[in-house]
Amino acid sequence: MHDLLLLIVGAALVNNVVLARFLGLCSFMGVTTKQETAVGMSLATTFVITVSCMGDWAVEKYLLEPYDVGFLRTVTFILVIAAAVQFTELTVRKVSPTLFKTLGIYLPLITTNCAVLGLALLLVEGKMSFVNATLFGFASALGYSLVMVIFAGLRERIALASVPRLFAGPPVGFITASLLALAFMGFSGMATN
Amino acid sequence: MSQGLDHTATPRGDNTIEAIAKVVAFERGLAVLEPEPTGSCNGCMSAALCGTKTGNTSRLLAKRFTLANSAGLSIGDRVVVGLGGGSLLRASVTAYAIPLLTMLVAMVTIDQMGGGETRTMVGAVAGLGLGIVIARLSATHLANRGDLSPRFIRRAYGPGPGESCHTDLG
Repeated sequence: MHDLLLLIVGAALVNNVVLARFLGLCSFMGVTTKQETAVGMSLATTFVITVSCMGDWAVEKYLLEPYDVGFLRTVTFILVIAAAVQFTELTVRKVSPTLFKTLGIYLPLITTNCAVLGLALLLVEGKMSFVNATLFGFASALGYSLVMVIFAGLRERIALASVPRLFAGPPVGFITASLLALAFMGFSGMATN
Repeated sequence: MSQGLDHTATPRGDNTIEAIAKVVAFERGLAVLEPEPTGSCNGCMSAALCGTKTGNTSRLLAKRFTLANSAGLSIGDRVVVGLGGGSLLRASVTAYAIPLLTMLVAMVTIDQMGGGETRTMVGAVAGLGLGIVIARLSATHLANRGDLSPRFIRRAYGPGPGESCHTDLG
């Protein structure tokens, strides 16, 4: 259990997927203008990352590794991610059409989120067990969500502040992101993963 | 299609998310609305997937919703509809967090009991299935309370003379 906790802390805070690995920057800058949309996107991404990490682990273990076709890894993982997104969309649609109308907008965007593919490739590199791979994906997605929500809150406040004209908009957003990354560097050395 | 509840009041919660929708039909006295793509839609890599670029009919049909026609709307009218920020959060938690948590709890529990890899995988899938069932019950409850339905806020004005577009929500 201690190892699992270290894995979660390491993936979520120390090696944060956005601020330390620089993955998923497109949605980090694009969907963080409002906190509510950031939360919706983050939860959807967390679900898809976790499910696709499970799928990618199974494909690697039972297909790519035994048949020695590692060169097909990237293509196969993209297929698994697209299938995970479709599965999520179908499930939400069947569970509640009203929910689908409210949340459906975020799902297609996740297919092109590089964090999902990046994490799948990282878990293969780490040669993890099924539980570790799933928790690694979940914890990394939690770290992604945390950063998205914090950054959305900061951007909502910055939108109300008087920023010099040359820095208004994305420039001050990037400066804020860099300061956030510096703050997350404080977690370095807490847990290695 | 959601229930045509008479939600003409301002949505609950402070952070209302507003969007423009167009009246496309009437069904049993209820106005059927189709949301208009926002300014940034059609510009991203996924535009072809969500239906805004290709006019994917099934996706656009799936996004239609109904409203009680208490404002005397007619076909072609553009209106501003709103959804409370709290509603979006509740919907997200119901759809994603519940199945995810049941799946992880089932997986870790079986793993800690020394169940082996195959049993852990089966347990995770079973936990996910259980979570989806719970999410379905919770979503039905939210929908019956009208928490997930967009509400009519005001009519949206069209572009003014000489304007090619009108971003003002009304």
